[in-house]
Amino acid sequence: MNINKLPSPLQGLLLAGAALLFCATAWSQTATPVAAAAPSHAAHAPRAQLATGAAFAPDGSLWMVGLDAQQQLSTWRSTDLATWSEPHKLETRGDAISADGENRPKIAFGPQGQVVIAYTRPLDKPYTGWIRMLRSSDGGANFSAPFTVHHDTQEITHRFESVAFDATGALHAVWIDKRDLKASGKGYVGAAIYQTVSTDGGKTFGPDTKVADHSCECCRIALAQGPDGKLRALWRHVFGASTRDHAFANLSDSAPNTFKRATFDEWNIQACPHHGPGLARADSATNPGYHAVWFGIRKEKGADVAAVRYARLGADGQPIASTVRALPDAQAEHADVAATGDKLAIVWRSFQGKETSLKAWLSKDGGKTFETRVLATARGNNDQPHLVSNDARMVVIWRTTEQTQIHELSF
Amino acid sequence: MNSVFKTLLTLLLALAGNSWGQASTPGAPAKAAAASVNSVVDFDETTWATLLQSGPRPAAYLFTTSYCSTCPDAFAKVQAGAARKGQAVPLSVVMMDVGGTQALRHMVHFQGLTRMYAFDGYEAAIRQSVDPQWPNVTPYVVLIDKKGRLQKFIGPPTPKALRAWLG
Repeated sequence: MNINKLPSPLQGLLLAGAALLFCATAWSQTATPVAAAAPSHAAHAPRAQLATGAAFAPDGSLWMVGLDAQQQLSTWRSTDLATWSEPHKLETRGDAISADGENRPKIAFGPQGQVVIAYTRPLDKPYTGWIRMLRSSDGGANFSAPFTVHHDTQEITHRFESVAFDATGALHAVWIDKRDLKASGKGYVGAAIYQTVSTDGGKTFGPDTKVADHSCECCRIALAQGPDGKLRALWRHVFGASTRDHAFANLSDSAPNTFKRATFDEWNIQACPHHGPGLARADSATNPGYHAVWFGIRKEKGADVAAVRYARLGADGQPIASTVRALPDAQAEHADVAATGDKLAIVWRSFQGKETSLKAWLSKDGGKTFETRVLATARGNNDQPHLVSNDARMVVIWRTTEQTQIHELSF
Repeated sequence: MNSVFKTLLTLLLALAGNSWGQASTPGAPAKAAAASVNSVVDFDETTWATLLQSGPRPAAYLFTTSYCSTCPDAFAKVQAGAARKGQAVPLSVVMMDVGGTQALRHMVHFQGLTRMYAFDGYEAAIRQSVDPQWPNVTPYVVLIDKKGRLQKFIGPPTPKALRAWLG
């Protein structure tokens, strides 16, 4: 900083302030802490909680759930994929709601008018939370009071939930859980993946069952229906002591830890990427499997290379090595993936300079070749982009401080 | 907040951090200062450059988030590295996703902390002002030695780096 360019009154303030602070701190070690006189962050409005969930309703309308300007959980609806309705506020009985980054409210539509909305309620103790849900049996016209999905009510991590219905109409809630860490003590690596299943649209839930030990602690979990209608999950996992790659499991498998390893970045790190994967079924009769996107750092020619990567997974979740490739953007973050037939879309956001870009990588041949598009740009805070699709349409939802954009994709 | 004013305040704080460190009893454990941290200092797109230019040396900065459960262990390693040398080194934590009282709730995880900052502005822009190559992974640790040389880590610093940091 060039002090000579500052206006003279500010120079005086600077010199006087600096002199006072030097004197005060040198004179007595019990002087008022400097930080107490600093610009307090408490005086600022909290950062906007922009993280949202979205899904198509059976009638083809697009629904979104998130926090409104008053930080109240709300739904919005779009019938033309261009404009949103006014927010419909939901009663959450004073729950705090996580709606930032990987932790966003979700919405899912089931058979017979069932709609569920899920979110993480952070508890007083850092790193803790409960998975809460509201349910509707009349297509979203009315919702229940919030209730806790899991049976374990310790003040520990039950966070980063995902919810989806399988083809039979059973509702699965899956989350990151630290009960095993608490029970086992410091020697337990990471957290665990748990799930519970409801066969009555969320009225009642079965027991909490473990999917896998040793997940990473704070990345979203991706879900997709397999060709058999059963749900598959992809999450960041800790292999060994500290290798943070990804694991793939069939949520209908009754035994825990029956997952397959889905990525092989060999990223050895004791850190929190907070950057979960995306998963979509590869809708091909001749070449069944899944499309996956994920973030990781891998060694390439001796150097650490951070990237969001894409790969085709086989039907059992194991990667097809020849399909692994990095997205064409070194700044890519928080990619999502969706597929219908041979049409495959990957979207992500990318910050450079002063702007964040919303980008898409589109394929008409199931991931063999791609075309890159820039869909939008924005300044300031924004949510991760989300792909939402039904049999007929595929859209990208991107919430910024200004608006929530809907981009219908054409291939 | 006016950016010129914020820059001035950051510089004042940086100067104060220097004098505070010098006024500490040599050899005192760094955690002696932790009890006095009771507020959070803004960290915007200009802060890092100011700290590099005028901030305390040696020093350590750990960038963290409210969800980063691996961050306290990394901070403990940095703190232990300083304690082994018997030096009262400024150890700062920078919260990237929350501020104010939400950030202060995390104080308990960072024994030995001497200052807590919180991002004030768009996270990606501030992050790139610190290091354009840093993906949003925490902890991100920067060790600055007495000559102003930087060592950067995603995850905890290595024992070798900690030894090199304080000579």
